[in-house]
Amino acid sequence: MAVVELTDICKSYEGSGDLAVRDVNIRVEDAEFMVLLGPSGCGKSTTLRMIAGLESITSGTLSIDDEQMNGIPARNRDIAMVFQSYALYPHMSVRDNLGFGLKRRQTDRAVVKRRVEEVAASIGLTDYLERKPHALSGGQRQRVALGRAIARDPKVFLFDEPLSNLDAALRVSTRAELVRLHQKLSATMIYVTHDQVEAMTMGDRVCIMQNGEVAQIGKPMEVYLNPANTFVAAFLGNPPMNLMDATAGEGAVAVGDARITRAGISPGRKLTFGIRPEDLTPVDRPGDGILSGRVTSIEPLGAETLIHVDRGAHAPLIVRGGRLTAARLDETIHLAATPDMIRLFDAGTGRALEGTAQ
Amino acid sequence: MNGTRISPNGLRMAALLLFIAIYTAYAAGPFVWVAMMSLRTTTEIAADPYALPWPLHFDKFVSAWTDSNYDAYFFNSVGIVLTAVVILTVIGGMAAHCFARYRFRFKGLIYFIIFSTIIFPPQVTVIGLFQIMVDYGLYNSRIGLVLVYVSIQLPITIYILESFFARIPGDLFDAARIDGYSEWEIFWKISLPVALPAISTTVILNTILLWNEFLYAVVLITDDDKRTLPLGVLRFMGDQLEDVGMIATGLMIAIVPVVLIYVFFSERLIQGMTAGAVK
Repeated sequence: MAVVELTDICKSYEGSGDLAVRDVNIRVEDAEFMVLLGPSGCGKSTTLRMIAGLESITSGTLSIDDEQMNGIPARNRDIAMVFQSYALYPHMSVRDNLGFGLKRRQTDRAVVKRRVEEVAASIGLTDYLERKPHALSGGQRQRVALGRAIARDPKVFLFDEPLSNLDAALRVSTRAELVRLHQKLSATMIYVTHDQVEAMTMGDRVCIMQNGEVAQIGKPMEVYLNPANTFVAAFLGNPPMNLMDATAGEGAVAVGDARITRAGISPGRKLTFGIRPEDLTPVDRPGDGILSGRVTSIEPLGAETLIHVDRGAHAPLIVRGGRLTAARLDETIHLAATPDMIRLFDAGTGRALEGTAQ
Repeated sequence: MNGTRISPNGLRMAALLLFIAIYTAYAAGPFVWVAMMSLRTTTEIAADPYALPWPLHFDKFVSAWTDSNYDAYFFNSVGIVLTAVVILTVIGGMAAHCFARYRFRFKGLIYFIIFSTIIFPPQVTVIGLFQIMVDYGLYNSRIGLVLVYVSIQLPITIYILESFFARIPGDLFDAARIDGYSEWEIFWKISLPVALPAISTTVILNTILLWNEFLYAVVLITDDDKRTLPLGVLRFMGDQLEDVGMIATGLMIAIVPVVLIYVFFSERLIQGMTAGAVK
């Protein structure tokens, strides 16, 4: 049982007036897998390190199970952390690495030994217990780092981009392993990543951060379908959401030459029109579509095809088509948009307009 | 015909070997000469300075050890050098750990002050040091010499260790912190063991330098019973004559332990000096 709650957390570094993290409010429920997602420098790692107790908190409150943790040193917070670099102790064997944190808390050697062997068996490292980290492969090191966290049986697990040093295939399998681990332990986990695939596949909820602030928190599909602002819309999804300048008119929104019926927006208001690449469909007759342009490149990816469309003076578009597409290079393409999936944002603030989300 | 021709490669190799041979003779020559003299009597040396040692007078070593107080010099050297090296390693290691790991006020200034001491040649400081030692009752005492040795070797020890500690990834310390260890325990359980190559470099370097140290020892120690090995030669040097044979014997007693340390640990020394240079 562990609820982690961040209230109005701010962080500024000495000698710099700027806030690296600003007014962050996150409540991670018990047994929840929360992913902090964002580009590098958005403050996600700093936030994680503040939860760990490795960085001081400039202002705001951090509590774990309603107990304030601001001044409590890292060693007394009962948390475990897996680092991007794994941070295995190079002079210790796998056995000692797994047991290092445990020995601190548990003086009975027999108990430590049993626990280390249990954990080693669960992560498939029983045969490597006497090896030093330098004699292990990247994937094995990663598992030792994971095992070191599990061995302690902490209240909260923290992960700082733990998969980014693995090769693609190993990353996919370790991702699945982590999800299984979360289900098995039903522990509270906070996971930092810049990889949206990890965020979408692993998180119970995702917290997207931008410039030290929380941009949006929600279930993965929720934030994907209904981004709270243009930053989230452009950051999530590969390729990202298409964003175009638009202006509100009487009962309709004008996107370039196209008009989309939409009531309730004061005429003249500057907007950003957003549509995901998979919600655009090529149509045969110009009248059936709302947007058109010239096809500049076609990228067949196997399962799908990405079609890049140039719209002259307007922002270019990307369309996600099926395996086979009728689009031809340099020809004009007409596109229809799934009406439910159109998202409108205020052009000035970038925030999603109320009522445009489903 | 081809068999008699020397290839350019062979010529290059021959030139290299010749150079190495000359350099070895130049570097090791004096040492070999002293080693030979250490087994000859002064009379023999006076007759022919470069002759081979025959018969071998091993008894000279026994006589230096028993009659000329070399046993006392030897144990003084061992005691003083060992104590100084232990203190240097612990204090130097702690200071280096702090410089490498923590941000604190006046860090740059403190670093500068510590290092500014190495720019003065010892001849400049030795007079002032002599007065200070007299004032504090540390003149002519082994503890005083240990303290002086610690202070003269501390900057370079901190320098070597700091540059090595700074290369240990910060994540290791964070991991240990989260694993429940205090800063003090992290120093002993993580910093020191991980930095073992650098630690052994400083231990060997300090041992060799202090073992051979002469200037401070000759100025600060007067009692024969408190002298270290490098001062042992003074015993064989009078106003009128020098017992060259015995001086050579005394020197060998002083040199042999250092040579042994170097032979056994040189690989480790080079490892520590070049650690991190590749990666």
